[in-house]
Amino acid sequence: MKAMLYTDDVLRARAELTLSTDHARWLLRIVLQIILFGSIYGAAMGAFGGARPLQILYSAIKVPLLLTATFAISLPSFFVVSTLLGLRNDFAASTRAIVTTQAGLSAVLCSFAPFTLLWYASVESYQAAILFNLLLFAASSLTAQHLLCNFYRPLIRSNPRHRLLMWIWLTLYGFVGVQMAWVLRPFIGHPGTPTTFFRAEAWGNAYIELIHTVLNLVSG
Amino acid sequence: MLKWLRQLDAILRGDATRTSALKSGRIETPVAGVLVLTVMLAGLYGACVGSYAIIRTAWSDDGVTHDAFMQLLASTLKFPLLFGLTLLITFPSLYVFNAIVGSRLTVLSVARLLISMIAVMMAVLASLGPILVFFSASTTSYPFMKVLNVVMASIAGFLGLAFLLRTLGRLVVAQRPAPLPIDPPQSEASDQQATPAPDQRSALDAFHVGTDQKAALVFRIWVVVFSIVGAQMSWVLRPFIGSPDMPFTWFRQRQGNFFLDVAQAAGNLLGL
Repeated sequence: MKAMLYTDDVLRARAELTLSTDHARWLLRIVLQIILFGSIYGAAMGAFGGARPLQILYSAIKVPLLLTATFAISLPSFFVVSTLLGLRNDFAASTRAIVTTQAGLSAVLCSFAPFTLLWYASVESYQAAILFNLLLFAASSLTAQHLLCNFYRPLIRSNPRHRLLMWIWLTLYGFVGVQMAWVLRPFIGHPGTPTTFFRAEAWGNAYIELIHTVLNLVSG
Repeated sequence: MLKWLRQLDAILRGDATRTSALKSGRIETPVAGVLVLTVMLAGLYGACVGSYAIIRTAWSDDGVTHDAFMQLLASTLKFPLLFGLTLLITFPSLYVFNAIVGSRLTVLSVARLLISMIAVMMAVLASLGPILVFFSASTTSYPFMKVLNVVMASIAGFLGLAFLLRTLGRLVVAQRPAPLPIDPPQSEASDQQATPAPDQRSALDAFHVGTDQKAALVFRIWVVVFSIVGAQMSWVLRPFIGSPDMPFTWFRQRQGNFFLDVAQAAGNLLGL
């Protein structure tokens, strides 16, 4: 119950979350939230095409992994750039804002899980399943961006340059996150193929694939 | 080592180049330790670049080849060399023109300033290292890695050069006897774009007070020269990443130029 209230705080973007100094407790709660909500959505994602326990398990691991790994890889650049912009003294606060946002993102995703299940129950096409999940991810990311803006408001008020830093972070996180999601495929898993954690030919580049897809579309 | 890190941190935060620290018109940041750290950071990024060869061969059936290890070693050594040589080539003319236009910067100050600039560049570059390794691990496309490297180096270069020009502007301001307080324009825009209080200023902040025009011009031109020399130097010192189709060599044949090749790689990516 208390944990639920905490999630409520995250979604309402209460300032205390990013300002309080009880780092250990805050971190524990946020990480638990990311893992819990992320894996619930992941499990729903992996439930396509009938019960495949292994795929459900893998997907449940992958969604929190996607968020945390992307965060870890982008953090060093965020640190150096925030130092260069003269915002180092606020680094703890801004890191809390971006980490808390990820908890918010996973909560939003989790709330979408029932839709995914309903969608799976109503369509058979694998492509349609992928498309729907992409849509939900896009919607959650937009919502999370809104949350981030809320968390950042006091920071931006104290120093307007935080706005620039926030956009730099979003760019970094997005750029790495897209590729991370690509590498961690399959999240849904084609029902016809055996379940694997990674896809054999999975390693590749999301951006190159994207360019190829667009070029193919253009050239017919 | 810890002391050096603290000095590097002061440069990044902008503490080392605040107006108050530049009062004497000289730059007195100790940079010997920072220089060592900078070389290490450059090597670290070089290793991240070289990781492409290692990871690519690790996936293949033959396992990691000797060539891949050599490429890793070569990239690690070449990155500090790249920036060192670029600096060496562009430094003398900078100092000469700087003196000709009557700037009060001593040769030592110019050197310190440039080392600080390279330190900023390498810190940014090294911080982008994890992202590069991640893409190395998941991408087989050689043109993509080339373009990604050029983009990252450009980001680092841009921030470093911005740092340099800002510090110079500040240096001129610091030497003025008593800067006149300027009333901020009373408009709505000034509310949003309010200049932060002095203690909030970062290493990248400009001083919007008139600067010593000639010296500023010399440094602006130099920034362009530095970028071009750096780009071409990276071409001379290639391969950094190591083409999958070629055996390892320390250096390649002298042909073509940097800009042509990057344009080609970008075109290749876009399927042209």
